[in-house]
Amino acid sequence: MRHGRERRGGALVAALATLAFSAALGAALADLVRTELRLASERRLTARLLGALDACVADVVAEIPAGWDLAALLAGADATPGTADDGVLPAPAGCTAVARPAPGGAAPDRVLVRVDARIDAARRHLDALVRRTADAGVGALLWLSAPPEAGAITGVALLDGADATVPLASLAAPADPEALDAWLAAESLALEISPDTAAPVSASAPPLAELGARVLAAAHAGSEALVSSGAPAVGLAHVAGDLAVDDIRLGAGLLFVDGSLEVHGSLAFQGVVVVTGGLRVAPGASLAVDGGLWLGVGSPTLAVEGVLVLHHDPAAIATADAVLPLPRRAVVAGARDVG
Amino acid sequence: MTGRRGATLLELLVGTALGLAVFAVLTAAVGVAGRMLVASGTRAESEDTAQLAMEALLFDLRRAGWDPTAAGHSALVEARDDGLALAADLDGDGAIATDSEESVAWRCVLASRRLSRLVGRQSLPLAEHVTGCAFRYLDGQGGVVTAPVTTADLPRVRAVELALRLLPPGLSHPTSRSLLAALRAAP
Repeated sequence: MRHGRERRGGALVAALATLAFSAALGAALADLVRTELRLASERRLTARLLGALDACVADVVAEIPAGWDLAALLAGADATPGTADDGVLPAPAGCTAVARPAPGGAAPDRVLVRVDARIDAARRHLDALVRRTADAGVGALLWLSAPPEAGAITGVALLDGADATVPLASLAAPADPEALDAWLAAESLALEISPDTAAPVSASAPPLAELGARVLAAAHAGSEALVSSGAPAVGLAHVAGDLAVDDIRLGAGLLFVDGSLEVHGSLAFQGVVVVTGGLRVAPGASLAVDGGLWLGVGSPTLAVEGVLVLHHDPAAIATADAVLPLPRRAVVAGARDVG
Repeated sequence: MTGRRGATLLELLVGTALGLAVFAVLTAAVGVAGRMLVASGTRAESEDTAQLAMEALLFDLRRAGWDPTAAGHSALVEARDDGLALAADLDGDGAIATDSEESVAWRCVLASRRLSRLVGRQSLPLAEHVTGCAFRYLDGQGGVVTAPVTTADLPRVRAVELALRLLPPGLSHPTSRSLLAALRAAP
């Protein structure tokens, strides 16, 4: 019996030792898994916060109206410096954005925007350096002040934004890119877009009122700047009220029509054509612009019953910009995570 | 009485054999479990190392080109398939200090199987047992900019990709990570 007890005791010790060792291994494995799960959770949260920061910066900058400088951002919505809303920018839910002057010299015009994003109790900050683009406009051939209307093109329209380095978007308007895509698709029977043209972009409306005031403040010509033959002189033209083109006209530089534009003949322009009202290209008529076409709101805003051709021409836009500085969109020139 | 008080030789042999067999099985099981634990630890460490290297590069790329004074600093100073150099004016003094975090380089050295992050003259090994490490550079349209990127072509680079593969001793399959991050400094 004593021998039997010793054998049972040995087995018990062995079993307990095995159990203890297995438990230690299991505990180590559980600890490893727990650590990895915690790390994964932290990484997931960090990735979500970084994504939220980037999305917030993109939204905030997209909401900054196109213009000439950024000084208005520092004064806030009430446009009065020294008040509580100084620098506060409209931001989507879950984040805040505050602009402040950037260090260094005043030129080029730029501001620092501190963005704060929150997810539950976690938060991260980012500084974004915001400035205006080097290129005038919003990087689109056709810049609208309102979402395009269905059935706008019953004639033929060609949008060619191809470029060896930075292709231009076909269309920019204050609407979701999906809505702009849908409009392009709906007009596709009459609308041809060259293959290398960039996708439409969402953008605030062009600042036509301020641009008009700047045109009037500068030396400018009238509709006589549009010539019927020969090489047109590059210049600034302002037309107060509606403009109808019934014959063949050529122009270059910047044409500002403070009203609607009706083309019954042929108008070819190199530079930027700005129309605060609607644009109508009548059947059999044609409008060709090498540069950009910026439209306000009319009834209708855009009616192409003839032929509309828009070609990307960086040189023509630069020439127009040299005649009169044009508005530009705001972009993020750099960013730095600050915690 | 003699048989009841003790065990026969045969009983001892059988008992010993059974005991040894059980002990061998237990030892093998514990050994396998131990190796699995070690392998799991190695795998976890390898994954963490690769992930941390990617996160470190991501944060370096996110801030590259930070130039609040508009002094004209470029994000990318050097771009090769085995490394790159980045600049950022983090303190906003208008200058890039080459001995600080404002000037950072990354180097893949496959000969020593190491990925390192260099700050000034200090080299911080981020990953050992590197069996694959290659940088790629993309322009604004997603086209590949051939490395080494010439100085003239550096402004064309809008995104950086790193493919990293680690194979620490004791693992049969490598840990792989890839990162594609856009430079946020507008050209």
